[in-house]
Amino acid sequence: MLSKGSAKKVTIYVNEDTQRNLKALYESILTFLMNKGVAGATATRALAGFGGHRVLHTPNVEALAEHLPIRIEFIETAEKLEEILPTLYDMVSDGVIEVQDTNVLKVSMKKRAPEPKTPHERRAGSAKLMRIFLGEADRWHGEPLYDAIVKQLRMMEIAGATVYRGILGYGAKGHTHKKSFLHVSKDLPVMISVVESEEKLKQAAEAIESMLEDGLIVVSDVEIVRLVRSAPPEEAAD
Amino acid sequence: MKPYQPAKLLRLHFTERDRCQGKPLYEAVIDKCRELKIAGATVFRGLEGYGDTAEIHRSHVLHRDLPIIVQIVDSAENIGRLLPVVEAMMDTGLIAVSDVSVIRVEKAP
Repeated sequence: MLSKGSAKKVTIYVNEDTQRNLKALYESILTFLMNKGVAGATATRALAGFGGHRVLHTPNVEALAEHLPIRIEFIETAEKLEEILPTLYDMVSDGVIEVQDTNVLKVSMKKRAPEPKTPHERRAGSAKLMRIFLGEADRWHGEPLYDAIVKQLRMMEIAGATVYRGILGYGAKGHTHKKSFLHVSKDLPVMISVVESEEKLKQAAEAIESMLEDGLIVVSDVEIVRLVRSAPPEEAAD
Repeated sequence: MKPYQPAKLLRLHFTERDRCQGKPLYEAVIDKCRELKIAGATVFRGLEGYGDTAEIHRSHVLHRDLPIIVQIVDSAENIGRLLPVVEAMMDTGLIAVSDVSVIRVEKAP
Protein backbone atom coordinates (compact mmCIF):
# COMPACT_ATOMS: atom_id res chain seq x y z
CA MET A 1 0.00 0.00 0.00
CA LEU A 2 1.30 3.42 -0.96
CA SER A 3 2.03 5.68 1.98
CA LYS A 4 3.77 8.96 2.74
CA GLY A 5 7.51 8.99 2.02
CA SER A 6 9.85 8.04 -0.76
CA ALA A 7 8.45 6.11 -3.71
CA LYS A 8 9.02 5.53 -7.41
CA LYS A 9 7.24 7.29 -10.23
CA VAL A 10 7.01 5.42 -13.50
CA THR A 11 6.18 7.03 -16.83
CA ILE A 12 5.55 4.89 -19.89
CA TYR A 13 5.30 6.35 -23.40
CA VAL A 14 3.53 4.29 -26.06
CA ASN A 15 1.54 4.90 -29.22
CA GLU A 16 -2.22 4.88 -29.09
CA ASP A 17 -2.49 2.29 -31.82
CA THR A 18 0.17 -0.14 -30.62
CA GLN A 19 -1.56 -3.48 -30.15
CA ARG A 20 -0.98 -6.34 -27.78
CA ASN A 21 -3.08 -9.51 -27.93
CA LEU A 22 -5.71 -7.72 -30.08
CA LYS A 23 -6.10 -4.96 -27.51
CA ALA A 24 -4.60 -1.50 -27.31
CA LEU A 25 -1.27 -1.73 -25.50
CA TYR A 26 -2.07 1.11 -23.09
CA GLU A 27 -5.27 -0.67 -22.06
CA SER A 28 -3.37 -3.91 -21.47
CA ILE A 29 -0.87 -2.03 -19.32
CA LEU A 30 -3.60 -0.34 -17.25
CA THR A 31 -5.43 -3.65 -16.75
CA PHE A 32 -2.19 -5.31 -15.72
CA LEU A 33 -1.39 -2.53 -13.21
CA MET A 34 -4.88 -2.71 -11.73
CA ASN A 35 -4.71 -6.49 -11.36
CA LYS A 36 -1.36 -6.18 -9.64
CA GLY A 37 -2.91 -3.84 -7.05
CA VAL A 38 -1.02 -0.69 -8.06
CA ALA A 39 -2.35 2.30 -6.10
CA GLY A 40 -3.41 4.21 -9.20
CA ALA A 41 -2.40 4.88 -12.78
CA THR A 42 -3.37 7.55 -15.28
CA ALA A 43 -3.14 7.43 -19.05
CA THR A 44 -3.15 10.72 -20.92
CA ARG A 45 -3.25 11.27 -24.64
CA ALA A 46 -0.73 13.81 -25.77
CA LEU A 47 -1.54 16.61 -28.18
CA ALA A 48 1.42 15.82 -30.39
CA GLY A 49 4.83 14.23 -30.19
CA PHE A 50 7.46 12.12 -31.85
CA GLY A 51 9.48 9.10 -30.84
CA GLY A 52 12.02 6.58 -32.03
CA HIS A 53 10.43 6.31 -35.46
CA ARG A 54 11.11 10.01 -36.16
CA VAL A 55 7.51 10.61 -37.27
CA LEU A 56 5.73 13.61 -35.85
CA HIS A 57 2.38 12.39 -34.56
CA THR A 58 -0.02 15.29 -34.76
CA PRO A 59 -3.80 15.61 -34.99
CA ASN A 60 -3.38 18.04 -37.90
CA VAL A 61 -2.50 15.28 -40.37
CA GLU A 62 -5.37 12.84 -40.52
CA ALA A 63 -3.27 9.85 -41.47
CA LEU A 64 -1.06 10.35 -38.43
CA ALA A 65 -3.82 11.24 -35.98
CA GLU A 66 -4.26 7.63 -34.99
CA HIS A 67 -0.70 7.34 -33.79
CA LEU A 68 -0.88 9.94 -31.06
CA PRO A 69 1.39 9.38 -28.04
CA ILE A 70 -0.09 8.01 -24.80
CA ARG A 71 1.61 8.60 -21.50
CA ILE A 72 0.87 6.28 -18.57
CA GLU A 73 1.96 7.41 -15.12
CA PHE A 74 1.84 5.68 -11.79
CA ILE A 75 3.49 5.93 -8.39
CA GLU A 76 4.34 2.87 -6.30
CA THR A 77 6.72 1.70 -3.60
CA ALA A 78 10.15 0.44 -4.68
CA GLU A 79 9.31 -3.14 -3.61
CA LYS A 80 6.09 -3.24 -5.59
CA LEU A 81 7.83 -1.82 -8.63
CA GLU A 82 10.50 -4.52 -8.46
CA GLU A 83 7.72 -7.08 -8.62
CA ILE A 84 5.94 -5.67 -11.68
CA LEU A 85 8.75 -4.09 -13.66
CA PRO A 86 9.92 -7.29 -15.44
CA THR A 87 6.45 -7.88 -16.88
CA LEU A 88 6.10 -4.23 -17.87
CA TYR A 89 9.49 -4.40 -19.56
CA ASP A 90 8.25 -7.33 -21.57
CA MET A 91 4.87 -5.73 -22.42
CA VAL A 92 6.16 -2.43 -23.79
CA SER A 93 7.26 -3.71 -27.18
CA ASP A 94 7.37 -0.24 -28.72
CA GLY A 95 7.91 2.69 -26.39
CA VAL A 96 9.85 4.03 -23.44
CA ILE A 97 9.71 3.25 -19.70
CA GLU A 98 11.12 5.84 -17.32
CA VAL A 99 11.51 5.44 -13.54
CA GLN A 100 12.32 8.26 -11.15
CA ASP A 101 12.54 8.73 -7.40
CA THR A 102 9.73 10.73 -5.93
CA ASN A 103 8.37 11.77 -2.57
CA VAL A 104 4.75 11.12 -1.70
CA LEU A 105 3.34 13.94 0.42
CA LYS A 106 -0.24 12.90 0.78
CA VAL A 107 -2.34 9.84 0.08
CA SER A 108 -6.00 10.19 0.82
CA MET A 109 -9.08 8.44 -0.32
CA LYS A 110 -12.68 9.53 -0.11
CA LYS A 111 -15.02 7.01 1.39
CA ARG A 112 -17.23 5.53 -1.27
CA ALA A 113 -20.39 5.29 0.77
CA PRO A 114 -21.41 6.80 4.10
CA GLU A 115 -20.50 4.47 6.89
CA PRO A 116 -23.32 2.87 8.81
CA LYS A 117 -23.83 4.63 12.12
CA THR A 118 -22.12 2.63 14.82
CA PRO A 119 -22.07 3.35 18.53
CA HIS A 120 -19.08 5.41 19.55
CA GLU A 121 -16.24 4.35 21.74
CA ARG A 122 -15.10 6.53 24.63
CA ARG A 123 -11.40 7.19 24.95
CA ALA A 124 -10.16 9.24 27.87
CA GLY A 125 -6.67 10.43 28.69
CA SER A 126 -4.55 13.43 29.41
CA ALA A 127 -3.44 15.79 26.68
CA LYS A 128 -2.43 19.39 26.11
CA LEU A 129 -4.55 22.29 24.99
CA MET A 130 -2.78 25.02 23.05
CA ARG A 131 -4.31 28.42 22.42
CA ILE A 132 -2.69 30.74 19.91
CA PHE A 133 -3.63 34.41 20.04
CA LEU A 134 -3.10 36.52 16.94
CA GLY A 135 -4.76 39.23 14.88
CA GLU A 136 -7.11 38.72 11.96
CA ALA A 137 -5.01 41.05 9.81
CA ASP A 138 -1.78 39.10 10.36
CA ARG A 139 -0.64 37.61 7.10
CA TRP A 140 1.68 34.82 6.00
CA HIS A 141 2.94 34.93 2.41
CA GLY A 142 -0.15 36.77 1.28
CA GLU A 143 -2.81 34.66 2.99
CA PRO A 144 -4.39 35.13 6.41
CA LEU A 145 -2.07 33.81 9.11
CA TYR A 146 -4.83 31.86 10.86
CA ASP A 147 -5.52 30.08 7.58
CA ALA A 148 -1.85 29.29 7.10
CA ILE A 149 -1.55 27.97 10.67
CA VAL A 150 -4.54 25.66 10.27
CA LYS A 151 -3.11 24.34 6.99
CA GLN A 152 0.28 23.81 8.63
CA LEU A 153 -1.36 21.93 11.54
CA ARG A 154 -3.26 19.80 9.08
CA MET A 155 -0.09 18.92 7.22
CA MET A 156 1.53 17.95 10.54
CA GLU A 157 -1.41 15.61 11.12
CA ILE A 158 -2.54 17.38 14.26
CA ALA A 159 -5.88 15.97 15.40
CA GLY A 160 -7.88 19.18 15.07
CA ALA A 161 -7.91 22.95 15.35
CA THR A 162 -10.63 25.58 15.74
CA VAL A 163 -10.36 29.27 14.88
CA TYR A 164 -12.35 31.75 16.97
CA ARG A 165 -12.84 35.40 16.17
CA GLY A 166 -13.08 37.76 19.11
CA ILE A 167 -15.21 40.88 19.16
CA LEU A 168 -12.89 43.09 21.17
CA GLY A 169 -9.40 42.87 22.58
CA TYR A 170 -5.86 44.15 22.84
CA GLY A 171 -2.50 42.52 23.21
CA ALA A 172 1.05 42.53 21.97
CA LYS A 173 0.48 45.28 19.41
CA GLY A 174 -1.07 47.53 22.03
CA HIS A 175 -3.96 48.69 19.87
CA THR A 176 -7.58 47.84 20.48
CA HIS A 177 -9.17 45.42 18.05
CA LYS A 178 -12.74 46.55 17.81
CA LYS A 179 -15.67 46.48 15.46
CA SER A 180 -18.17 49.33 15.54
CA PHE A 181 -21.07 50.55 13.45
CA LEU A 182 -19.12 53.23 11.66
CA HIS A 183 -15.97 51.42 10.85
CA VAL A 184 -15.64 47.75 10.19
CA SER A 185 -12.43 46.55 11.69
CA LYS A 186 -10.51 44.06 9.62
CA ASP A 187 -8.21 43.32 12.53
CA LEU A 188 -10.26 41.58 15.16
CA PRO A 189 -8.54 39.27 17.63
CA VAL A 190 -8.31 35.64 16.57
CA MET A 191 -7.68 32.59 18.75
CA ILE A 192 -6.88 29.11 17.51
CA SER A 193 -7.31 26.23 19.91
CA VAL A 194 -5.67 22.85 19.39
CA VAL A 195 -5.85 19.71 21.51
CA GLU A 196 -3.14 17.09 21.00
CA SER A 197 -0.64 14.87 22.79
CA GLU A 198 2.24 16.71 24.46
CA GLU A 199 4.83 15.45 21.98
CA LYS A 200 2.97 16.41 18.80
CA LEU A 201 1.91 19.73 20.26
CA LYS A 202 5.53 20.59 20.96
CA GLN A 203 6.38 20.15 17.28
CA ALA A 204 3.36 22.19 16.29
CA ALA A 205 4.28 25.00 18.70
CA GLU A 206 7.76 25.19 17.20
CA ALA A 207 6.39 25.45 13.68
CA ILE A 208 3.85 28.07 14.68
CA GLU A 209 6.33 30.14 16.65
CA SER A 210 8.31 30.70 13.46
CA MET A 211 5.16 31.84 11.62
CA LEU A 212 3.82 34.24 14.26
CA GLU A 213 4.93 37.82 14.11
CA ASP A 214 3.60 38.92 17.46
CA GLY A 215 1.28 36.84 19.48
CA LEU A 216 0.93 34.49 22.34
CA ILE A 217 1.03 30.71 22.62
CA VAL A 218 -0.63 29.38 25.75
CA VAL A 219 -0.46 25.72 26.73
CA SER A 220 -2.40 24.02 29.50
CA ASP A 221 -2.99 20.48 30.73
CA VAL A 222 -6.36 19.03 29.92
CA GLU A 223 -8.20 15.78 30.34
CA ILE A 224 -9.80 14.64 27.13
CA VAL A 225 -12.74 12.42 26.48
CA ARG A 226 -12.78 11.43 22.85
CA LEU A 227 -15.81 9.94 21.29
CA VAL A 228 -14.68 7.88 18.32
CA ARG A 229 -16.55 5.67 15.96
CA SER A 230 -15.15 2.17 15.92
CA ALA A 231 -13.50 1.45 12.56
CA PRO A 232 -15.63 -0.45 10.04
CA PRO A 233 -14.45 -3.99 9.25
CA GLU A 234 -11.57 -3.97 6.75
CA GLU A 235 -12.62 -4.61 3.20
CA ALA A 236 -10.86 -7.43 1.43
CA ALA A 237 -8.15 -6.03 -0.79
CA ASP A 238 -9.25 -5.98 -4.40
CA MET B 1 12.43 27.76 20.56
CA LYS B 2 11.87 29.96 23.57
CA PRO B 3 11.15 28.25 26.90
CA TYR B 4 7.64 28.21 28.29
CA GLN B 5 6.89 30.62 31.11
CA PRO B 6 4.35 29.79 33.80
CA ALA B 7 1.31 32.08 33.75
CA LYS B 8 -2.38 32.23 34.60
CA LEU B 9 -5.37 32.18 32.28
CA LEU B 10 -8.44 34.01 33.52
CA ARG B 11 -11.79 33.40 31.86
CA LEU B 12 -14.84 35.51 32.61
CA HIS B 13 -18.23 34.28 31.51
CA PHE B 14 -21.18 36.67 31.40
CA THR B 15 -23.61 37.97 28.79
CA GLU B 16 -23.72 40.69 26.21
CA ARG B 17 -26.52 42.43 28.11
CA ASP B 18 -24.48 42.94 31.29
CA ARG B 19 -23.54 46.57 31.67
CA CYS B 20 -21.24 48.55 33.91
CA GLN B 21 -21.66 52.30 34.28
CA GLY B 22 -23.62 52.65 31.08
CA LYS B 23 -21.37 50.70 28.75
CA PRO B 24 -21.21 47.00 27.96
CA LEU B 25 -19.48 45.09 30.72
CA TYR B 26 -17.01 43.50 28.29
CA GLU B 27 -15.86 46.93 27.15
CA ALA B 28 -15.56 48.07 30.75
CA VAL B 29 -13.49 44.97 31.59
CA ILE B 30 -11.14 45.60 28.64
CA ASP B 31 -10.72 49.24 29.65
CA LYS B 32 -9.97 48.20 33.21
CA CYS B 33 -7.40 45.64 32.01
CA ARG B 34 -5.64 48.36 30.04
CA GLU B 35 -5.71 50.66 33.02
CA LEU B 36 -4.12 47.97 35.20
CA LYS B 37 -1.50 47.32 32.48
CA ILE B 38 -2.57 43.71 31.92
CA ALA B 39 -0.65 42.15 28.99
CA GLY B 40 -3.67 41.40 26.83
CA ALA B 41 -7.34 40.48 26.81
CA THR B 42 -9.70 39.10 24.19
CA VAL B 43 -13.50 39.07 24.11
CA PHE B 44 -15.35 36.24 22.37
CA ARG B 45 -19.04 36.05 21.66
CA GLY B 46 -20.66 32.63 21.90
CA LEU B 47 -23.40 31.34 19.64
CA GLU B 48 -25.69 30.11 22.36
CA GLY B 49 -25.47 29.25 26.02
CA TYR B 50 -27.03 29.26 29.43
CA GLY B 51 -25.78 29.91 32.91
CA ASP B 52 -26.74 30.55 36.48
CA THR B 53 -30.21 31.84 35.74
CA ALA B 54 -30.91 28.88 33.42
CA GLU B 55 -32.01 31.41 30.85
CA ILE B 56 -31.02 30.52 27.31
CA HIS B 57 -28.87 33.24 25.82
CA ARG B 58 -29.30 33.53 22.10
CA SER B 59 -29.76 36.15 19.45
CA HIS B 60 -33.27 37.56 19.66
CA VAL B 61 -35.00 39.52 16.93
CA LEU B 62 -34.89 42.85 18.70
CA HIS B 63 -31.98 42.56 21.04
CA ARG B 64 -28.91 40.44 21.38
CA ASP B 65 -28.19 38.59 24.56
CA LEU B 66 -25.40 36.22 23.66
CA PRO B 67 -22.84 34.69 26.01
CA ILE B 68 -19.56 36.60 26.31
CA ILE B 69 -16.23 35.09 27.31
CA VAL B 70 -13.25 37.28 28.14
CA GLN B 71 -9.89 35.52 28.12
CA ILE B 72 -6.92 37.14 29.80
CA VAL B 73 -3.40 35.69 30.05
CA ASP B 74 -0.82 37.24 32.35
CA SER B 75 1.51 36.48 35.25
CA ALA B 76 0.00 35.12 38.47
CA GLU B 77 0.78 38.42 40.16
CA ASN B 78 -1.06 40.56 37.59
CA ILE B 79 -4.04 38.22 37.48
CA GLY B 80 -4.17 38.38 41.29
CA ARG B 81 -4.27 42.18 41.04
CA LEU B 82 -7.04 42.12 38.45
CA LEU B 83 -9.27 39.49 40.06
CA PRO B 84 -10.80 41.55 42.91
CA VAL B 85 -11.42 44.44 40.52
CA VAL B 86 -13.36 42.45 37.92
CA GLU B 87 -15.18 40.56 40.64
CA ALA B 88 -16.56 43.88 41.87
CA MET B 89 -17.60 44.85 38.35
CA MET B 90 -19.47 41.64 37.56
CA ASP B 91 -23.04 41.06 38.62
CA THR B 92 -23.80 37.45 37.76
CA GLY B 93 -21.31 35.36 35.92
CA LEU B 94 -18.44 32.97 36.27
CA ILE B 95 -14.74 33.48 36.81
CA ALA B 96 -12.36 30.61 36.03
CA VAL B 97 -8.60 30.66 36.59
CA SER B 98 -6.21 28.01 35.31
CA ASP B 99 -2.47 27.42 35.23
CA VAL B 100 -0.91 27.64 31.80
CA SER B 101 2.52 27.83 30.16
CA VAL B 102 3.08 30.55 27.60
CA ILE B 103 5.47 31.60 24.86
CA ARG B 104 5.25 35.25 23.98
CA VAL B 105 6.26 35.75 20.36
CA GLU B 106 7.47 39.26 19.60
CA LYS B 107 9.38 40.19 16.51
CA ALA B 108 11.42 43.37 16.44
CA PRO B 109 9.59 46.07 14.43
